[in-house]
Amino acid sequence: MKRIRDFINKADIRKFRFWLQLFFFVIFIYGGYFAINLGNSIPVFSCGYDREVGGMCYFLPLQHQLARPLDVLFSAASISVLIGFVTFLLWFIIFNKAWCGYACPLGTMQDWITGLRKKMGIRFSSYTQPQFDKLKKIKYIMLALVILAPMGVGMGLLGGEWRTAFCEICPGRMITPLFVGDVSQWSLDFSTKTAMILTTLGLIFTGLFLIGSFFKKRFFCFFCPMSAMHYIFSDAALLKLKKEGDKCTKCGDCYNVCDMQIKDIADDVKSTNILRDDCIFCMKCVAACTEDDALHVDILNMKLFTSTKGGFAKRMEMDKLEKKDD
Amino acid sequence: MTEHKIETPKERQNRHKAMEAAAVLEKIKHDFKETPKAMEYFYDLYERVHCKHEPLHSDKAKVGTMCIQVPSEIIHALDAVPLRLCNGFYTDDEIGSDLLPSKSCPLVKATVGQFASNNFSDKPDIVISPTTCDQKAKSGAIIENMGFEVYDMEFPRTKESHESREYWRRSVRKFTKDLSNNLNTKLSRKKLKDAIKKVGYAQHLYHKLNILRKNATSPILGKDMFLVTNAFFFDKIDNWIDAMEALANECEQRVKDEVAVASKRSPRIVYTGSPPIFPNLKIPLLIELSDAIIVADETCSSNRMFNDMVSVDEWLMYDMVDSIADRYLKGCTCPIFTKNEDRKRRILDLVRDYKADGVVYQAFAGCQVYEMEQRSVLEAMEKAGVPILYLETDYSPSHLGQLTTRIEAFIESLKNRKRRQ
Repeated sequence: MKRIRDFINKADIRKFRFWLQLFFFVIFIYGGYFAINLGNSIPVFSCGYDREVGGMCYFLPLQHQLARPLDVLFSAASISVLIGFVTFLLWFIIFNKAWCGYACPLGTMQDWITGLRKKMGIRFSSYTQPQFDKLKKIKYIMLALVILAPMGVGMGLLGGEWRTAFCEICPGRMITPLFVGDVSQWSLDFSTKTAMILTTLGLIFTGLFLIGSFFKKRFFCFFCPMSAMHYIFSDAALLKLKKEGDKCTKCGDCYNVCDMQIKDIADDVKSTNILRDDCIFCMKCVAACTEDDALHVDILNMKLFTSTKGGFAKRMEMDKLEKKDD
Repeated sequence: MTEHKIETPKERQNRHKAMEAAAVLEKIKHDFKETPKAMEYFYDLYERVHCKHEPLHSDKAKVGTMCIQVPSEIIHALDAVPLRLCNGFYTDDEIGSDLLPSKSCPLVKATVGQFASNNFSDKPDIVISPTTCDQKAKSGAIIENMGFEVYDMEFPRTKESHESREYWRRSVRKFTKDLSNNLNTKLSRKKLKDAIKKVGYAQHLYHKLNILRKNATSPILGKDMFLVTNAFFFDKIDNWIDAMEALANECEQRVKDEVAVASKRSPRIVYTGSPPIFPNLKIPLLIELSDAIIVADETCSSNRMFNDMVSVDEWLMYDMVDSIADRYLKGCTCPIFTKNEDRKRRILDLVRDYKADGVVYQAFAGCQVYEMEQRSVLEAMEKAGVPILYLETDYSPSHLGQLTTRIEAFIESLKNRKRRQ
């Protein structure tokens, strides 16, 4: 048991993550080819516009469901809405935000773009603290759009083209189908003024997504409404990111590697549950922590992966020295 | 007929320093039982450097550093040797006393004194002076007036804010460029990566040895640990690493064989405060000669120098330099910072982790920041129920008697406490 634990704590989390991300990418994007269908309550951006999708992003069905007239929405006829939501929760509760860091195809794509930048030797950019504090609120506005726009349609306040307003502006809609050779989403809809504006915004956001994630690690995740939705329910999740503040020296190693620039991970020594709304649960912070047990990932209060001095040294290749002849 | 030679002031100074060093080395070597064999390397090193004044780095550019915050990774990557100039000699302290206010810190006085006498076995080509405490920052200018090349490296006095982090990162980037120009060496990605890994490996070895002190039978005494970490100030890093590998392995074996350097009843002490720097190991020696054992420390000549490690996300120049910068600011528990909750948490964590019975807090008379922090640390320890002894000392060999009495009384009370439990 001790040896298994030691093996996990010294694991090269990057490699593990790369392969797991690739695995989920294939399942979600190409699942159709293998007759895989995990349903349509998946808590990541595996876009439903991809015709081979192996499990659909929950937001597409959710928006359609919420666009029902109000009296239908709050009647027994909408039991399916509830079932969809419960399924979403069940999926989510198991892995918490690790869905973002390990399974989301849109997240994986951003990591690949980051990899490309690294290969080219171009430096990444980061936000200043005031920028960060302002920008992080956008995802809640996006979440409001996901929920309120279709309800507005249901109440007859907005036109039908608002039904899936978020999907229209989501970069996933345009990019994901490309992987199965479908370019049909790359067009502007001129049918109505609203549709035109929304699809134009979609094109702009797609451009921003590609450029942004090249310069900023996980650029889109700051604005992701799914991330906001996750955070609302994250307290109930089984997988948890924990911190023992007493053991923390605030050295900032975790903050330094954090793709999402979450400062609390280093500076907050009071909270035990250190998961924040921007977190993508990539566990890079745990891997970069040098203090034994200061950061750990728990499942049902059992330590699954914990920070260790030995693990840190191994991952940073500081546990041995290549002797050279001088 | 024997020729009579008149001793030059320099020779006289060296003789005094050698006497000081030899006296302490004798104590360290012979007044204790079960000293690890691998310590021989270090005893020999101190004898060569501090008694015989042998130069170690005649083939390389030497960069003197006035504080812990100067990134040694960058200096190594530029093919130079970092030499930490914080000085522990009373002989130099006396010389420095003439140049600085009477109530200055003995460490600063000794450092300035060494420059005043211009007596180095390895003379630094350039001196890097980070603006940490007032006394160090100001003595940079004094040293410059003596004709040495001094580079002021700006260091913030707070560390929590985003601004201070950015400020320090900029300061380190600038330092990297300026030093590279000064040494006329170009910094390459490969060299910097190798330097980070080498210093990281040295830190890893330190940790490997240090955590063995958590055992009920610690394999090594605090006085030897201070000597080992202190050697990192001036030794060739490759030699230090080799010696440390041997020492860590030997101590690992000792833990298995249950070789004890102190008795089971010996109170376990966490040492904090002003740094003990050879040959001023007065307090650690007094503690361990009074049948206690130092199991951990929170000082800039030892644990603080090794504890926090560089973590790099992207092994490219920009991220490496910034990550190095963070290591020297964020985790630092130096009392020069405005607030210091981190230091209190750190001491308490060490007490818990190393199962210590008490804390000894030394402040150099004249080190205002350590003296000022004393009350709050004492309060925090009292609240946590940890006995603590506060001592104010300097480098002079006088009032040893009083110190001995206080330390012995403290240790005796810890023993009583232990017995009652």
